[in-house]
Amino acid sequence: MWRATLKSLLARKVRLALTALAVVLGVGFVAGTYVLTDTLDKAFDELFTTTTAGVDVVVQAKSAFTPVEGGGGGGGQERNPVPEGVARRIEAIGGVQRVVGDVAGYAQIVDPRTGKAITTAGAPTLGANWDPLTGLVLRRGRAPTGPGEMAVDAGTAGKYDLAVGDRVQVLFQGPSGEFTISGIVGVGELDNLLGATLSVFDTETAQRVLGRQGEFDTVNVVARPGVSPIQLRNAVAAALPKGFEVLTGADAATQSAEQLRQGLGFLRTALLVFGFVSLFVGAFIIFNTFSIIVAQRTRELGLLRALGASRRQVMVSVMGEAVAIGLAASAVGIGAGVLIAVGLQALLRLVGVELPSTATQVLPRTFVVSLVIGTVVTFVASVIPARRASRVAPVQALREEGAPPGGSLRRRIAIGFAVTGLGLAALLTGLFGGGSHAAQLVGLGAAMVFLGVAILSPLVARRIAGWLGAPLRRLSFSGKMGRENSMRNPRRTAATAAALMIGLGLVTFVAVFAASLRSSASAALDETLRADFIVSSSQFQPFSAQVARDLAARPELGVVSPFRQGEIRVGGRTDFVAGVDPSTIAAVAAVDVAGGSLHSLGDGALLVYRGVARSHGWKTGDTVTVEFAKSGKRKFTIGGIFTDNRLLNNYVVSLPVYQRNFAGQLDMIVFVKARKGVPIDRARRAVDQVAAKYPNVEVNDQASFKARQAGFINRFLALVSALLGLAILIALFGIVNTLGLSIFERTRELGLLRAVGMSRRQVKRMIRWEAVIIAVLGALLGVVIGVLFGWTMQRALADQGISRFALPVGTLVAYVILAGFAGVLAAILPARRAARLNILEAIAYE
Amino acid sequence: MQGASPRPAARAVDLGKVYGEGDAAVEALRGVTIDFASGRFTAIMGPSGSGKSTLLHCMAGLDAPTSGRVFIGDVDLTTLSEKQLTRLRRDKVGFIFQAYNLVPTLTAEENITLPMDIARARPERDWFDTVVDTIGLRDRLRHRPSELSGGQQQRVASARALMSRPEIVYADEPTGNLDSRSGSELLAFLRDAVKEHGQTLVMVTHDPTAAGHADHVVFLEDGAVVDEMEEPTAERVLDRMKSLEA
Ligand SMILES: Nc1ncnc2c1ncn2[C@@H]1O[C@H](COP(=O)(O)OP(=O)(O)O)[C@@H](O)[C@H]1O
Ligand SMILES: [Mg+2]
Repeated sequence: MWRATLKSLLARKVRLALTALAVVLGVGFVAGTYVLTDTLDKAFDELFTTTTAGVDVVVQAKSAFTPVEGGGGGGGQERNPVPEGVARRIEAIGGVQRVVGDVAGYAQIVDPRTGKAITTAGAPTLGANWDPLTGLVLRRGRAPTGPGEMAVDAGTAGKYDLAVGDRVQVLFQGPSGEFTISGIVGVGELDNLLGATLSVFDTETAQRVLGRQGEFDTVNVVARPGVSPIQLRNAVAAALPKGFEVLTGADAATQSAEQLRQGLGFLRTALLVFGFVSLFVGAFIIFNTFSIIVAQRTRELGLLRALGASRRQVMVSVMGEAVAIGLAASAVGIGAGVLIAVGLQALLRLVGVELPSTATQVLPRTFVVSLVIGTVVTFVASVIPARRASRVAPVQALREEGAPPGGSLRRRIAIGFAVTGLGLAALLTGLFGGGSHAAQLVGLGAAMVFLGVAILSPLVARRIAGWLGAPLRRLSFSGKMGRENSMRNPRRTAATAAALMIGLGLVTFVAVFAASLRSSASAALDETLRADFIVSSSQFQPFSAQVARDLAARPELGVVSPFRQGEIRVGGRTDFVAGVDPSTIAAVAAVDVAGGSLHSLGDGALLVYRGVARSHGWKTGDTVTVEFAKSGKRKFTIGGIFTDNRLLNNYVVSLPVYQRNFAGQLDMIVFVKARKGVPIDRARRAVDQVAAKYPNVEVNDQASFKARQAGFINRFLALVSALLGLAILIALFGIVNTLGLSIFERTRELGLLRAVGMSRRQVKRMIRWEAVIIAVLGALLGVVIGVLFGWTMQRALADQGISRFALPVGTLVAYVILAGFAGVLAAILPARRAARLNILEAIAYE
Repeated sequence: MQGASPRPAARAVDLGKVYGEGDAAVEALRGVTIDFASGRFTAIMGPSGSGKSTLLHCMAGLDAPTSGRVFIGDVDLTTLSEKQLTRLRRDKVGFIFQAYNLVPTLTAEENITLPMDIARARPERDWFDTVVDTIGLRDRLRHRPSELSGGQQQRVASARALMSRPEIVYADEPTGNLDSRSGSELLAFLRDAVKEHGQTLVMVTHDPTAAGHADHVVFLEDGAVVDEMEEPTAERVLDRMKSLEA
């Protein structure tokens, strides 16, 4: 039996390679994700170990929690500073050899060539003081000294062609400054830190420009020889008052790495989702291939049975084949994954994100998970075909055109509806019920809906294929034949289309969701924002509060209202709080507040969004405890409940409260209104004149602000669609595979058609049309499901700002048309093979 | 009747066909020169492996000869491109194989008009009716091949071969898989096509009775024409066969 399995495996190399490819790609993506994130993880560990290598003990203020986004300070730490006096006290402790205080904060360099602020792909723009203990090394020139000098990281210097001696402008939270570049620095061996830009000053200058006069963010301590870091840590901790955190250098490195690790964990989960989607699609391909192979081998299987093979043996032989493919494909997939990870790292370096280099990490976990997932998926997908194979009766060895018995129609309908129904239930529970496993429920539900529809789709595949192909009948003979062929085996057509349905369904869902998001965002601005101008930074990174002060000084402008944002913790859950100026915000934000007003928002008061208040059972006047990373727990009275959270966050406090409780004091947005009686273009000129001094700041009116938001959403849409492209690609391989197998099965018929005068070109066209019908069928099913998903999602999130449902009809039509073209691509190889068949051999083919 | 008519429907000149190369080479045809007269029924006979099918395939444009020339009308098949050959098969040649002559997804009617549909030509309605009535399958036109008996399937295949009024129809043991009754029905139908509609027909057969109804019989052995017989009868054919196989 095993010999037979192996033989049949080798006999069908090409088809197996294609089938395996579906698994290879999915497993490759999963393994690649693990390898990439593990490698980065390790690299950062190593990096933080080197950057704290010379430091034995680190002292910093305690932080209540670690904000995900790094607080409102644009990369600055959300902690209280350490006064210089504390540093001096540490110097006096026995066992201390050296003490160096460090500061870091927002500093953005202006490109002297273009006059524009240098931005990054999401990494912070940092300013810091010169401290070789933190891993900074001088590459060229000398360390910065005095108020007019700075050093810049080698990455930025290289990219923007900055040299020692150049003069550059640098933006800070406070007034900007001009500096001469005295040196170029690296971070250990790296040119920069993850793509961040770095401006380095001497300590006094850094304290001044970063707003830390007389203070440090952290204090690094070096032990005298013979004193261990732990001894020193204990000594320092004993000497300092409460409110300070004293860590060994190693612990500090771990803590820093931990923060990045959380971000990496998020990236890993997000990428794995796409890997699992690909594997799910791959399972359809495998199922379909095995079904077809079993059907084609009916006579052979019947013969085996007639010769005495038991049902069990037949079943085990098919499953054995699946496991063999699964193992082999997973192994190849792991290799592919390592290559993908290495390639992605190279790509990141290419776009300017310097990654610490370390050995590529292929952990045992990566091996185990990838191998198990790939093999289990393949195995599970083969169970039904294997069962079908085992039901082939011995007499079928003798029949002419045997096909294994299919399941009953009624059972298919019952199972299909049950799976779809359960999936919908899970989906809806996850979306509307919330709960801690909401995301998993939604994922599971969506997968089950796809599966259920796939089970039901053979019932309608024939009709829909016939209907889709109807115009082809008149178009050409090839079109007519392509249509017939797509209709002749609905189970096969449906299963092939289902694989594409999943990819298209998800892409459609994302497109519908993005369209709803765009439309909702636009409506939100229309309905809640009353500003003439919106000032923000080009990447929605916070920017200097000086901008708002400069704007307020202009007589042409009536209202200048800054808006800040920071992370807080309420009842253990992290959320965002908005910091607003109560005296001006009401003029630009049309938000109803029940039981209070934006205007009367005082110290110690907090406004809460209605939905949040409702879920906590809060009402105006209640006391709520809010935790800040910097200042810890604070009690607030609810000063009002607002009905619309589309412009503001779920919580709103006044600017003075914000200033007391956050370390970073940068504005996210400044809303501006022209003074009454001042023409709008004069006001605009005034705003533009102020903005001209801040190259990282951009001025929009409501229309252009909307367009900008749409741009962000579109980029998100493009990214997710690109990641789903893998699933679609796998589905296309599925079409190639099905067509290849079908052609093999129809060899004699193709020979006959050629003998009676069908040209090669007509044969190719016939197969192309069949592929197009299958692809469009899958795309249509996917679009319908995707629209339903999108609609459900919008309903579920209607309360969280996605108030509108929008159907991007043009995009969806384009998707279906593109799917048709993809069908043409998938048909290229099978069509070529069919057209090249030797007529006489084909006719004689058994 | 004596000799071939002045313009043969098809002819082969010194036709040779070798399969394989070197030691494995098989010479299936060794310099066959033959005329198939227009409007006549030629039977080809010979022991198994004598090259009958190969001859038909080469003369129908289904296979390329190794040497020699093949004409249908005035057209030399050996000079034609693959595209032109396909066209020629579609418009000028009818072919009936021993089995599997029909496309399973198409109805009987669609199978009959297949060459026209491929050419996107409109079938002549009168001729279609004539052919269909002769094969007696009018009530089966909407059926798929799987719903037809072997004999009915071969009749549909014959109707298809005649439908485009080709210059010549080749049939390779068309009755080989049929019981004797279905076989004689099919033969009668093919003979009628020759007699009443002047169709040129070349048929490979093992059946001396069938050959007896032909106008002309060609005997093949080891890839060469060893004898020809005008106005044959079943007995004379049988005798000749016996001497060949002896
Ligand atoms: N495709 C082929 N490859 C190799 N040899 C072939 C092939 N087709 C036929 N032959 C050989 O050519 C000879 C003639 O075959 P064929 O024309 O089929 O004979 P017939 O139809 O008279 O039985 C036989 O020896 C046969 O084995
Ligand atoms: Mg033969």
